[in-house]
Amino acid sequence: MSCIVRIPSPLRSYTNGAASVAAEGATVNGVLENLEQRYAGVRFRMLDEQDRIRQHIRLFVNSRAVVDLNEPVRSGDTVHLICALSGG
Amino acid sequence: MSLSPAELARYSRHLALREIGVAGQEKLKAAKVLVVGAGGLGSPSILYLAAAGVGTIGIVDFDKVDISNLQRQVLFDTASVTRPKADAAREKLLALNPDIKVVAHAVELRAANVREIFSQYDLVLDGTDRFATRYLTNDACVLLGKPLVSAAIHRFEGQALTYVPLRGPCYRCLFPEPPTEGLVPNCAEAGVLGVLPGVLGTIQATEAIKLITGVGELLIGRLLTYDALAMNFNEFKFSRRDDCAVCGIHPSISEPQDAPELCSVDNLKDIQRWSARELHAQLHKAEISLIDVREPHEFQAGNLTGSINIPVAKLAQRLGGFSRTRTHVFVCRSGARSLTACAIAAQSGVASIAHLEGGLLAWASEVDSSFIVALP
Repeated sequence: MSCIVRIPSPLRSYTNGAASVAAEGATVNGVLENLEQRYAGVRFRMLDEQDRIRQHIRLFVNSRAVVDLNEPVRSGDTVHLICALSGG
Repeated sequence: MSLSPAELARYSRHLALREIGVAGQEKLKAAKVLVVGAGGLGSPSILYLAAAGVGTIGIVDFDKVDISNLQRQVLFDTASVTRPKADAAREKLLALNPDIKVVAHAVELRAANVREIFSQYDLVLDGTDRFATRYLTNDACVLLGKPLVSAAIHRFEGQALTYVPLRGPCYRCLFPEPPTEGLVPNCAEAGVLGVLPGVLGTIQATEAIKLITGVGELLIGRLLTYDALAMNFNEFKFSRRDDCAVCGIHPSISEPQDAPELCSVDNLKDIQRWSARELHAQLHKAEISLIDVREPHEFQAGNLTGSINIPVAKLAQRLGGFSRTRTHVFVCRSGARSLTACAIAAQSGVASIAHLEGGLLAWASEVDSSFIVALP
């Protein structure tokens, strides 16, 4: 399954500045694993040591909020990584 | 609150809008709006609220105008540099619209004063640049039953949402806790497109005017995101969380509280800030402990001789073994994580702390061009 992942501004240093990247995976977790293989360290910025979504991060598949990392991702979906921003 | 003939003329373009009209303009005149932070976001929102005829505008900001603010903080001009922001803003707004009242709160917003300040207003706009103030503002609005229009920016990206008591989720429902690693740098460290807060601050002012006049659909339970580079807006729906710490069923926060601001000025004031060249000069000294707080894969790709690797997330549990007589120098890739490490060490009572400004990227640039700095 190929999807598009939108990268939030604070994490774009991992993707060489790319705002969106293509990724493979049948579930949200699979997509994050795939990202990690190419951009080492990025998964830990979104998930904690217990594989829970960090409290300042939200994940959406298209417009649907992700609650469970095993939620399916279909070909053509867009996975949005949203990060709390602090700048004013 | 009726309008004078001069006000009828000034607001004629509002009065021509059926959705606002005289009744809406009178509501604006009667409204009391507080803006937290007269920075990039606060500048356009405050200007538009004043121009729109919001009768009372409060401004909370304890900072002074810096020359580097003028690239985006259009409320100020070159002559404002070094002046307290709240005072300079007040003068500018009264020149724009002498019929309104502007209250300058030139103080740092804290748990101790937030109730007293917020209670004077009907609505709050959050334009702060610190997570601690952002969460304090949200919690105080929930506890005091005040609507809140929140926005934030980073580099080329921004986000906005509106909270209205009893009508939808709060900021904590979306992001329950701020990042603890300190890996989200502020504008000073990350840079920001000057016009970006103009877009988001104007959205905040729009939401405020809609709230006051009761027109349109608000950003309740909707996070609006804006990417200036892609030039697109997205919207993400979110719901109230039953377990929200402040607006949930069994809230654990019943009073506004000061969240620890790891990178606060107080925490960092005694830290020695070394350039790469200064660190190079100090390296041979026996009393130096060099701690690299990057992730292990970054450390393995290239590290300074004699440094030990303690990722910043694991630092707190390792501080007990630190020597009391040595100077601990924290380094990372760019200087953001190491600054957080310094703050954690300072909070834990580590006596002598130094920081490599600009991180190992600066080291590679200024001292050793063959040094490999891995991506995080």
